[in-house]
Amino acid sequence: MSLFTRTTNELAARVDEFFDTIEIGVLIFKEGVKAYVNGDQDAFQNHLRKIDEHESKADKLQRGIENDMIIHSILPQQRSDIVKLLWQLDEIMDTAKSSLNEFYIEMPRIPASLVHDFASLAEVSGNAAEELIPAARAFFREPHLVREKLLKVYFFEKETDKSSFNLKRKVFHDMSELTLAEKAHLRYITHHIESISDRAQDAADMLASMAIRQML
Amino acid sequence: MIILFISSGLFLGWTLGANDAANIFGSAVGTRMISFTKAAVIASIFVVLGAVMQGSGASETLGRLGSVNAIGGAFTVALAAGITVYMMTKAGLPVSTTQAIVGAIIGWNIFTDNAVDSKSLTQIVSTWITGPIIGALFAYLLYHMIKVIRRRIKVHLLFYESYIRTGLLITGAFGAFSLGANNIANVMGVFVPSIPLGEADFGIFTLTGAQQLFFLGGIAIAAGIVTYSKKVIQTLGNNLLELNPEAALVVVLAQALVLFIFSSSALSHIVAATGLPPIPLVPVSSSQVIVGAILGVGVYKGVRNINMKVLGSIASGWVTTPVAAGLLSFFLLFFVKNLFGIEVGHSVNPPDATGDGLNLAMVVRYSIILLLVITASYLVYMVLSERKKTNRIKKNYYE
Repeated sequence: MSLFTRTTNELAARVDEFFDTIEIGVLIFKEGVKAYVNGDQDAFQNHLRKIDEHESKADKLQRGIENDMIIHSILPQQRSDIVKLLWQLDEIMDTAKSSLNEFYIEMPRIPASLVHDFASLAEVSGNAAEELIPAARAFFREPHLVREKLLKVYFFEKETDKSSFNLKRKVFHDMSELTLAEKAHLRYITHHIESISDRAQDAADMLASMAIRQML
Repeated sequence: MIILFISSGLFLGWTLGANDAANIFGSAVGTRMISFTKAAVIASIFVVLGAVMQGSGASETLGRLGSVNAIGGAFTVALAAGITVYMMTKAGLPVSTTQAIVGAIIGWNIFTDNAVDSKSLTQIVSTWITGPIIGALFAYLLYHMIKVIRRRIKVHLLFYESYIRTGLLITGAFGAFSLGANNIANVMGVFVPSIPLGEADFGIFTLTGAQQLFFLGGIAIAAGIVTYSKKVIQTLGNNLLELNPEAALVVVLAQALVLFIFSSSALSHIVAATGLPPIPLVPVSSSQVIVGAILGVGVYKGVRNINMKVLGSIASGWVTTPVAAGLLSFFLLFFVKNLFGIEVGHSVNPPDATGDGLNLAMVVRYSIILLLVITASYLVYMVLSERKKTNRIKKNYYE
């Protein structure tokens, strides 16, 4: 019995650590985008390195949790759902990392008039992912609270869509000084930032149905 | 020679173990919370303990229904019940050993021209109806309780799962104990009047003649659990209603409580001491109680989840089991007596002489009316709750 309790303790701690890692990763992503659009390259490089470390850590934790759940036959009925949820959270991290990498590789030129828009887009898109973590934690302790916690995720996802729409419209309608290539590039970067909140929404949908099943 | 005669009882015990262990650990094994090996070992140990320690109460009631007064008759009655249960188990139907043995005993009563004790039969038949209802009630309340506790204690899902896993082992052991205590009467009850064994002194404890028979029956049940119950678990599985581990825990606990209540002499005495009528100690069908308990959970979750087709096939087994066992018993007794010349029993209590004989037609008539009323009430409830649920969904999604 003590061996079993130890495994459960370790696994619960690892699940919490995984959520911490994702949460910090999203914060790093937001700060990274802000640093880039504000032209602070040192801070951007620092965030790029950090997000890479956190992404690797999240991958390792995800694999470890999955293995332990299979080896010790933990939550056999919910295992596949939980594994899928962890995979979707890890996808958010992957998207955040690849998004920052796009900035690093392609070095898009952000016009001064769009700095605030990009920073704000990264903020709301990141917020959607950030709000997902308390809901995911609640699934393990208080599944009846998941639904209300997810409301914020859906709210921020909608806000991201609005910000992204406005930003793209501004680029293509109001900024005639940009070439078509620059406009297309900015649209591409916008898509990348926006995809974080889309991933968060996918995970939120899944979490909502998992919580309902858990409460039945 | 005795061993040869009680072999049919042991066979019945084996079929009971194969069939009814699925009721105790089926859901836990089906949901992969407990391995089959662990479940089989625990169930085997506790079923024997229950049979030996607490098996006498229900056995006496069954003895009153028809005191099979020749060992050849006891052999044939147990064989008829055993064959019936085995055939239905083979067909993948969850059957009731209680109904099989009751049908077989009534077959013996008719063959040997003995009156059926109407009081005992009424007690037993009434548990066919009250058992599942009490099981459903217990399951509903326990499931509600477990949900409230889960919400209050805010325990991590992983720890909660480990508590449920431990709970499944404990309630499974309790369920096996209660099954042994209650259902050993079905297996060995018919042999008790015809095999008078002396007390056996083992130094630390003594076993009465009946307890020695119950011990042998318990071993036969354990053999059934170990050798054949896995197949039944796989067949029955979660067909009726998909059970999550906590529902499985509740279902087993509800079933164990019902079986315990109807087999505990001590509890019956305590109730009687308070001035209430004592609890009748009768063999209850664990299959029926488990179906009732699953329905209780199903009603709590919303009747939409219940697989009515499987429920119908189970219900048809309830009717066919006693009838098939009764007919088989009658014909087997005829062959054993006339073909092999073995004494199968004699009339000591003819129906006309006592005037207390059972009017079978009356019992059947009232039972059918009662069953119809219950079924109709349940259907009305189902329709109403379905409508309520649909309205709620519409309200949530369209308003």
